[in-house]
Parts: sequence; structure tokens; C-alpha cells
Amino acid sequence: MPHLTDDKRIRADKVSFSYKSDEENEAVPQRKALDGISLQIEKGSYTAVVGPNGSGKSTLAKLIDILEEPDEGRIVVFGRDTSSEDAFWDIRRKCSIIFQNPDNQIVGTTVEEDVAFGPENLGVPLPELRERVDQALKDAGLYELRTRQSSALSGGQKQKLAIAGAIAMHPDILIMDESTAMLDPRSRKEVLDIVEAMRIRDNLTLITITHDMTEAARAGKILVIKDGKLALEGTCGQVFSQKNTIEEMSLVLPVEYSFAYKLADMSKGTLTEEDLSGKENLRNACVRELKKIRREDIPAKPPSMSKAEDEVILSAEDLTYSYDGGKTLALDHVTLDVRKGEILVIAGRTGCGKTTLITHFNGIIKPSSGKVTVLGMDSRDKKNVMKIRQKVGLVFQYPEYQLFDETVFKDISYGLKKAGVPESEFEQRVHEACRKTGFREEFLYKSPFELSGGQQRRAAIAGVLVMEPEILVMDEPGAGLDPKGRTAMFNMIKALRDSGTTVIIVSHNMDDSAIVADRICYMKAGRIVKIAPPSEVFEGDDVPKPYITEFVNEVADLAGIEGYKSEGDFTPEGEALALAAFCAGGVSL
Amino acid sequence: MTGDSALGRYCNTDSLLHRTDPRVKIILYVFYLVAIFMLSNPISLLMLAAVTLLLIYLGNTGLKVIWLTVKPILLLVVFITVINIFTIRAGKPLFSWQFITVTEDGLKTGILMGTRLIFLIIITSIYLTLTTTPLKISDSLESLFSWMKVFRFPVHEMSMMMSIALRFIPTLSDETRKIMNAQMSRGADYDTGGVIKRIKGYITVLVPLFVSSFNRAEDLATAMDARCYRGGEGRTKLNPLRLKGSDVATGIILALVAAGMVAADRLLG
Repeated sequence: MPHLTDDKRIRADKVSFSYKSDEENEAVPQRKALDGISLQIEKGSYTAVVGPNGSGKSTLAKLIDILEEPDEGRIVVFGRDTSSEDAFWDIRRKCSIIFQNPDNQIVGTTVEEDVAFGPENLGVPLPELRERVDQALKDAGLYELRTRQSSALSGGQKQKLAIAGAIAMHPDILIMDESTAMLDPRSRKEVLDIVEAMRIRDNLTLITITHDMTEAARAGKILVIKDGKLALEGTCGQVFSQKNTIEEMSLVLPVEYSFAYKLADMSKGTLTEEDLSGKENLRNACVRELKKIRREDIPAKPPSMSKAEDEVILSAEDLTYSYDGGKTLALDHVTLDVRKGEILVIAGRTGCGKTTLITHFNGIIKPSSGKVTVLGMDSRDKKNVMKIRQKVGLVFQYPEYQLFDETVFKDISYGLKKAGVPESEFEQRVHEACRKTGFREEFLYKSPFELSGGQQRRAAIAGVLVMEPEILVMDEPGAGLDPKGRTAMFNMIKALRDSGTTVIIVSHNMDDSAIVADRICYMKAGRIVKIAPPSEVFEGDDVPKPYITEFVNEVADLAGIEGYKSEGDFTPEGEALALAAFCAGGVSL
Repeated sequence: MTGDSALGRYCNTDSLLHRTDPRVKIILYVFYLVAIFMLSNPISLLMLAAVTLLLIYLGNTGLKVIWLTVKPILLLVVFITVINIFTIRAGKPLFSWQFITVTEDGLKTGILMGTRLIFLIIITSIYLTLTTTPLKISDSLESLFSWMKVFRFPVHEMSMMMSIALRFIPTLSDETRKIMNAQMSRGADYDTGGVIKRIKGYITVLVPLFVSSFNRAEDLATAMDARCYRGGEGRTKLNPLRLKGSDVATGIILALVAAGMVAADRLLG
């Protein structure tokens, strides 16, 4: 029998933990995942745990659910110590975790079988078992799909399935361990809305682990973990008022907060904790600061350089492609020109045909109807395919999953070997590729599987760049990286463009796309809706706007500014400058 | 590659066979397997063909799906038939040219083998893969072999392993395609060159696939732990197998049909 106790908290007391590894590994240094951390989470609260990759935040989740046990210190869940034997199953059944990779947590072949897996393990008898499963499926919005094959669901649906599986256990604590990291923004919001509704209805203790600060801002309390220690703690307002501390930890404030800080910077005002608690207060604070800004406060904007030429380097004409013998139309009469030296972002939701389109660009898929021309070569002609593949480098999503060779050097030079480049050139070209991607050359003779995730991705991209492609195509290059890693990735992409490479990026993230792109091509259901530079593409309602633009428009409305339109910068700082300049300009007239 | 084949796929329709208890179907399958290999008289084979058509009707899969399951093995059927025709030397010679001799026995055996193979595929598909989900197959195997638990044979674990393997087949085949696309983009070529070169080429696919499978396995084990999995002891089932009267009736009737065919074959000699 669970004994009654007054303790309504999850407590960690000076907890330390290291992962045991058998071999010495220099590339991933052995260190404590958690280092004497102490913290408290109230029952029924909504807590976000944030920190850069490798900060120990996922370890904390595993310790609470007793999937690991602390080396030192203790964890007490609602008055029961996780190290006591009789509490083990009790705590585990009260605590559900949803993990990051949707594919790796589904056990059942069909949707309802998977939801039933947890309660079946608990030995829930039949009429109740069926009720629990059906209710959980309805809560997650999957009831209509209950007899489908679980592997045939989309990424967002798979995470909803994981939620249903967790809810069917009737837990007290629900932990989301980076569960939205692999989803597109709309699925992400849907998933979070579902768990938040569950939390309120069932009085769940909700813990979301994330490196996305915008997601963290939804929680009542934020815990920031760095190097296995608690670095910051407090409400949204309390934590976001520590701008410098957050940036030192290579975390990034949510865009609307960065925007507000930039305004306050120009108005020489200060943002209080209250200003920073919640979006409404933040909007009001933005308007207040905006009105204080005088013309001379606004620094001159560096002139933007666009080097794109008019020369068409790659073109798709009337491409149509379908899967399953014509049942699913992936591309529907797509016509597109890519210009030399530009960064073209192909944006759209998961499943809109983006990946199918780029797989045509280097002849992996031959057009069944329509035509692709690369540097004047038709991809339907067999003679051209090998030449096209050398000119068009294709980096797929999560490219680190394709590393295979004994050493990184061999892996990177694989393409050179295949193309018959003389071995004497390997050394120099591999070094050049490492320089471009920022891969650390001291790891060149290590096995690719010993590297950290970030270095693995760089190695995989180097393996494509080593062919010195004129066109580089990348599918979701920022996926799964923390904010610092993402910024580094986009800087690398811009540097490649500046050195003359044409870059095509596929992305479902409009904020990233708007910042990096010279032009954006928005796709929906296999068709191109619009292609235009970022400053024009969001006019009208047919292309979803970046999050920052929506916020800026709300502030402008609230301040009574009419006719403001982004000049196409889309970084929070750039947008703050532009809005302030527009506003001050209007006042002086 | 396998786009048009229905071999091993589940056919998502409803029918008498779909609804029949999978354990009954597995037992019937064994009966029919034995029958296929015992029948040799042309008349009894015609009877088997009629019964097979009846089963296809009862399984409500449509003839097109049946054709798609048979199509991929036609080459094998032809191969086995031809091998038998040309290698069996016993019996009356019908035809002889240089070192090739075709005998009456050879011709008979060859055709019989080819026919059996086709029946084998159709019977396997109609009883098992087309009308029974993989999960139900593994559930029935667990149930049918549960007596082996007495000998400490891990029946539940085997069945769990089987159903997880089935669950991950689409995921891993998807991943294989992605890795191949990526390596082809770097100049890999899986379609040309000799056997050795091709096998070596596949290393670029197999190594990443292995590494990711191990990572997946680790993740999955953690996820199963988190969902309180602790073996078969005390587990309940959402869709437990329940033997109904109609299942028993279907089983007895179809088993008698099989026995009848074997008896008829014996009588015909």
C-alpha cells in the first residue's frame, strides 16, 4: 500500500550521475552528467527544464523515473525515495516519459495495440483496459486512426501516439524529454496543446525538457541546467530578466524577448520582471519602449548585400511525381528556377513534397513527367547522372546516420575515391572540406562513431563538400541541433554562399528560413504556392508568417502604427531596428 | 523494387477468414501444408485448385492481390520445374538431344513441384499473411506453444521479439532507402560491377543500418522500461484471442475438406 505523506514535491538532493563507459574515449570526454544538483518541482506544476545539448537535463528525467539510479545524493518523488525497493514500481507507474525519437518508442504494430502496451504491462483487466485505450486515443486526437499501422503515421501523429500511450497509464507525472524536437512547428504546437490540456484536466505534474526557449516560456517555472548544475531557476519573467547569464550559457532567448531587449537597448529603458512575464506584458513593454526611442537613438543599418545573379543554374520544368502507383501525388506540376549564388529555401510542412523535389535535383529520382536541367545537363540522360551527382551535393536530414567507414578521413574521402580522383589530392581536399564545415582535424583518424553528434554532422557534410559541388542541397540542416549549433550551421551556409556555392535548403522552420534565405519557395501539397524574396513572400495570407513577424505586427497594432512592413531582416534585432526607424520616422514628419 | 508485390503483406479487408481465430488458421495451415505435399493425382490436384479458389473467395482479397503474391515467385516456380524436368532420368524417355534427356517421370515431377509451390504460396498467404495481422500471428504462436513454458522455454519473450521485429520492418526498410539515396549522392553505385564489388558496396549501407538499429534497440528498451514492461507475468491483453463456436465449425469443416482430398487422392492412387 502506498503510504500517505504530505510531501507534494519531486526533490533532488545533491544528485550526481555519470554514464559508465568501458573504453577511454577522448572525443567524448567522460564527465558527470549531473553534478551535485538540488532542485524541487511542485506537484501539479508545469516546469520546463532547459539547457544546451549535453547539459544533463535528460538524465534528470531518467533518474526521476528510476531508469537510472543516482551515484550520489537522492531523489524523492512525492515523499518516496527512488532508491527504496518497495517504491520502485509505484513511482515508475506514476511517472510517464515521452522521448525524442517518435520511431524508437512505439512497440505496437497498430495504433491501439501500442496505446494498450503500458496498461497491459500493469495488468489492467479488460473492460477497463479498452476504456482507457479509447479515452487516451480520443484525448490525443487519434481515435479515428486506431486500427492503422503505427509505422505509417506521420512524425507528429507518432508523438501523439506516444502521448496517448503515456496517458493510458494514468500517470501523476508526465515528462516530455525533447519530445517536440523532431516535429515541424505546427505539429509541435498541437502536441504541446494536447499535453497542457491533459495537465489541467488530470492535475498532472508536467515537466518538459527542451532547448527551445519559446517552448519553455509556456511553463510556469523554468529550471536552467548547465554542466550538470542548476544555473537559473524561476518564473519566465525571473529567468528571462537574466539576459546575459542566459546568453553566456549558449542558450537563446525566445525571439520576442530578444526583440524587446533590442528596443529597450535603443530607448535606454529597462525591462522589469513583470514586463517579461507573459506575452501580453511583453507587448505592452515593447510599445512603451518603442515610444521612447528618438531618431538619434537608432544606429545606422549596415547596407544589405545581395550577390545573387540572374543566371539559372538548375531548373525544374513541370515536374510531377507520384508514389504507390499513382495513388499519392508528391509533386504536382512543379516549375522552379534556381539562380547561381543564391540561398533558396524550400519551405513547407512535413509531407508537402520538399524532399521528393530535392531528390530529383541530383538524379536519384528520375522525373517520370517533366524535366530537371542542371548546368545545362538533362537528368533524364543516363550519361549525365554521374556528372550531375558531382556538381550537386545532397545532404539529407540527419546526415550523421550515413557515416560508415573506419576513420573519418576515409569516410570523407569516399566520394573522391568513387569519382576516381587521384589519392595524392585527398589530403588537401579533405582538409579544405574540414575547414569549411569546422570539423576538428585532430579527430580525422578516429572512428566516426566515437564523435559527438555535432562533430558527426560536420563530418558527414564534409563528405559531401569534399566533392566541391557547385550546388549544395541540404534537407533540414538545423534539425536536432541546439540554438548555438543551429547558428553555427547557418553561418556556415552563408559562408558557402559567399564563396560562390549555390545553396538550396529544405526547412519547415519559417523563422530560420526567413533569416537565411535570398528567396523562399513555399510548397503545399506538392505544389509551389509562391517564390519570392523574404521581404515579399509573407505579403498576403497564403504563406505562414515567421513567429517574429506575427509578434512585431501585434506590437505595431497595439502602438497604433499603420502600414509597417518588414524590410526582410527577420532577426529579432533587425526587426526591432526597422520598426523603431519606421516609428521614429513617422513621428518626425 | 517491391512496389508491386503483395507477398507477405496484410490485406486490409473483412471476411470470414479475417475473423476466424488465428490459432485455428495456423492449425488449418499445417493441415493444408501436409495435404499439398500428399496430393499427386491430377484429379485431386484439380480438387485442391477448386478448394483454393473457395478459400480465396472466403478470404475476400480479390484475385488481383493473389496474382501479386504469386507473381514474384513465378521465376522460382519455372526454375524448379525446369530443373526437375532435366535432371530426373528415371522413367520412359520422351525426348533426347545431345546430353539432355527428358523423361516422363521428370516431366510429371517437374510440373507437380511447380504446382505445389504455387499452392504453397497461395495457401500461406490466404491463411496467414493476407488475412492475419503479424501481431495476431505472434499472439497465436504464444498461445499455441504456451505449454512449452513448463519446460522454461521463453514463449512470451519469443513472441514479443517477433512482434517487435515485425513492427520495425517498415521503419528499417524506410531507413535503408534513405541511406542508399545518401550514399548514391556521394557516388555509390549499387547496380553495376561484379558480385564482390556489389557486396562491398553494400557495406556503406549495412554499417550505418547496424549502428542505427543498435541505437534504436537501446532507445526502445528504455521506452519499454518506462512503460513498466516486466515480461509476460501478469500482463493482460487488449485483444485477447477468444475461440468462438463459429471458429471451431470453420476449422472442422475446412480440416475435413483437406482430409477428404487426401483420402480421395489415396483412392485414386
